Amino acid sequence: MRRWLGPVLAGLIVAAATTAAVIHFLPYSLMNVAIERLGQGGINRMSYGNLATPARQPVVRPSPDLAYSSCPYDLSAGPLAIDVTPVPGRYSSLSVFDAATDVIFVRNDVEAGGKPYRIIVAREGQAVPAGAEVIRTGHDKGIALIRLLLKDPAEIGALDAARRQSSCRVVTNPK
Amino acid sequence: MKSWHRYAIAVAGGLAVGLGAAWALTGNGFGDGGIHNGPWSTSLGYGTKATDALTRARVARGGLLALPAKETVYWSAKTDASGAPLDGDCRYSLSGTALDARWWSVTIYDAAGYLVANPANRWSVNGANVALDAKGEWRVTVAPDKPADGAWLPGTKGQPFHLTLRMYNPGQDFRADPAKAALPRIVKKGC
Repeated sequence: MRRWLGPVLAGLIVAAATTAAVIHFLPYSLMNVAIERLGQGGINRMSYGNLATPARQPVVRPSPDLAYSSCPYDLSAGPLAIDVTPVPGRYSSLSVFDAATDVIFVRNDVEAGGKPYRIIVAREGQAVPAGAEVIRTGHDKGIALIRLLLKDPAEIGALDAARRQSSCRVVTNPK
Repeated sequence: MKSWHRYAIAVAGGLAVGLGAAWALTGNGFGDGGIHNGPWSTSLGYGTKATDALTRARVARGGLLALPAKETVYWSAKTDASGAPLDGDCRYSLSGTALDARWWSVTIYDAAGYLVANPANRWSVNGANVALDAKGEWRVTVAPDKPADGAWLPGTKGQPFHLTLRMYNPGQDFRADPAKAALPRIVKKGC
């Protein structure tokens, strides 16, 4: 039996290390999958997704009450500018998630005073336009998501034009 | 058996155990986040930098792109008021008063967190589409077949289901003590 002592100890160490590694890296790989799925319309641009149904569920636990617009981003080409125009009289929010799935920014329509605003997402050290409101991040990739509340799915017809006023793009000339 | 054989077996076993343990530990999704209120449970740490690696991995699996608690509190229920698992073939009464939030909704998912097709194309009820009675209460029947009267949230025929309650911009009273807040009741009426 004593000949198994070393191997069993090695096995336990491998098990513990595997568990820790999977738990650490799982959010990154799930974020990559989400970027892939939400990025069908292109990276660094806003996609105005259809409402969630059983046939269309790009991420787990989608809310059928929300119109999601998503901007999967990659800052390696430069900072990202997100322009948000809240829809009057109803809940909406912009949230920005980094590659580790952490939320690095949230603002809802009330906090924005119902007014349009621009946010720049940039890596540490990247040049940004003077006077801009900037979120710094340690990761290149992530997803910016706009949620718009619908009281009824049928409302999307009337609200689609309003939500399309929000957009995102790479800042090509930050000076 | 040679020594390296024993090491190979142990390391392979360790890898399998480690993968299985990680999968089991991260599989709780939105449930069991530490704060309990009847059949509902939540964590107020979702989506923030302060979240530990395990909570982050659980949320990534169970609710990727979830908002932090000041914006939205996500409650999950996998059982009814008596503690029995929610069964898509049974009939439940889901009821409550107006919730302390700017807006709320209850959505029905399968056990993995996905919407399931139903003839009514309805997967949620929310504060804007439930009717309050004289006592200020709303009531919805969760069942595989449409009830004779009242609001209906179609059940997931032939499989268990989970409910997710979203409270957007929850009120200060609620945030002060979420475990004591009045949340919707889930009572089984029959199968």
